[in-house]
Amino acid sequence: MNDDATRAGPALWLLTIAITTLLLIAATKALWLVVPFLVAIILYYILLPMVHRLIAWGMRRQVAAAVVAGGATLLAIGILVPLLPWVASQSVASGQTVFRYLEGGRALIDRMLLAIESQFEFLARIGLHDQMSKKAAEFGDEFLQKQLIQIVNGAVAWLPSLLLAPFIAFFALRDGRVFLKRLIDGVPNAFFERTIYMFDRVDATARNYFQGLLTLTAVDSLFLTIGLWIIGVPNALLLGVLAAVFEWVPVVGTVVGCVMVVLVAAAEFPSDPWIVYAVIGVFIVNRMLDNFLFIPMTIGRSIRMHPLPTVLMVFIGGAVAGITGLVLALPLAGVVSAIVGAIAGIVRDPRLRARNAYARALQVRRVTADFSE
Amino acid sequence: MLGFLRTQGEHPRIAQIRLLTLFATLSSRELRIVDGLLHDRRYLKDEVVFDQGEQGQALYVVLSGRILICRQGDPVTGRIAEIPAGALFGELALLDGAPRVAQARAAEDSMLAALSRADFTRLVETHGAIASKIALQLARDLGRKLVAVNAAMEKGPAAVNTGIEKGPL
Repeated sequence: MNDDATRAGPALWLLTIAITTLLLIAATKALWLVVPFLVAIILYYILLPMVHRLIAWGMRRQVAAAVVAGGATLLAIGILVPLLPWVASQSVASGQTVFRYLEGGRALIDRMLLAIESQFEFLARIGLHDQMSKKAAEFGDEFLQKQLIQIVNGAVAWLPSLLLAPFIAFFALRDGRVFLKRLIDGVPNAFFERTIYMFDRVDATARNYFQGLLTLTAVDSLFLTIGLWIIGVPNALLLGVLAAVFEWVPVVGTVVGCVMVVLVAAAEFPSDPWIVYAVIGVFIVNRMLDNFLFIPMTIGRSIRMHPLPTVLMVFIGGAVAGITGLVLALPLAGVVSAIVGAIAGIVRDPRLRARNAYARALQVRRVTADFSE
Repeated sequence: MLGFLRTQGEHPRIAQIRLLTLFATLSSRELRIVDGLLHDRRYLKDEVVFDQGEQGQALYVVLSGRILICRQGDPVTGRIAEIPAGALFGELALLDGAPRVAQARAAEDSMLAALSRADFTRLVETHGAIASKIALQLARDLGRKLVAVNAAMEKGPAAVNTGIEKGPL
């Protein structure tokens, strides 16, 4: 029973993938709720150990949850309020800054294409540089005019809904345990142990994944910041943290983070291409360390699924739900897999179903004992 | 320091679980934490609690009623022990997740409190002192059962079942 999810065959893989895909499609339709819910889950797992500590010191759960959630909110306000003037000044200059970095990137591509054309004459004859420069200019203009504005507008639209996150986290900390108990109370005796196992798997999957993800982000932030600082890229800390957060998006996150830092390096050091190569080198080394060391040590074991459906799920998630799908595919598939595995275990176990039927028959016999034939 | 945030008086439920052997050494504050982890389950007479060979996920404490431990599907001749109110059973699942070694079924209408292995493991991580006290009580309980079995074995195989039955379960 313990490994229903890992022993699942192709039929259960397909069922898990199908249910996860449907949930991801639904998630794209309700991002205003999914995003704060996701942030709330992360907050919940960060704050839960502190709630446990206060309970151990003698505080009631309700009070401990209020103290921890209130303290975290005050801390966030204490950090964000002093930063507001700086953020405001940065946002005024951000349009110009983004334009300057895109120009830096365009100049870098220009130089690279000219260098390639000087090596391969046939590329010069077909006008590779001119065509690619034109495409890059079109992409840059479209990105600035449409996509960047869309991204900024989307972020502004989500901000109010993000205020839901601390509330959801607070109520999860305060009443999550009671809610779970009530839920399990409604399960028939025959399925009780399977159910507690299933909820434990769901909790362990989510907890290990999100705590692992935060640890991975911290490790990546540190490695990238130190690497970029050694190379001499300005704002190494900010860029390192941002690139590490981009890593939350499987497959494309690393590329996006790397391109972002390459653009900055190309704009800041237009006459020194080796810095750009060094930046790419730092990201390649970080990716390799992630794959072989950091990910196995952090989130690697949280998703108890076969590698094949796991990889399939990432690609399907990206195809049906874009960035949301890429970010949510793995944790959601892990949770769905645990639930599907447990329910399949019950459905496939005739003894458990017979025990449940017998218990219901006993109940019926009890309540109808005084009925005459 | 945090005294003003603590509850006053003892809730009847806390008084009830204080009487259970497994939690006898816990303070009121610790009992409140443990109570948050217990799942109350009601079983009718003859209802199966768990089957022999099933993967165990929880330990049970009998709040009221009696539980029969027997060989699978043989409650009459395969009778192994009878667990009275206040005692516990299914503890091996808590310790190592081993398959159940016998079947448990309600000898009469019973109310059980279940502590899951996952919750106990978390208790070890978050409230080590409480987990240690429970583990110590578990060890004492297992020791008493072992002494009872040894005493019964010395009287001969026929006395084993009777010995466990009368042992301090």
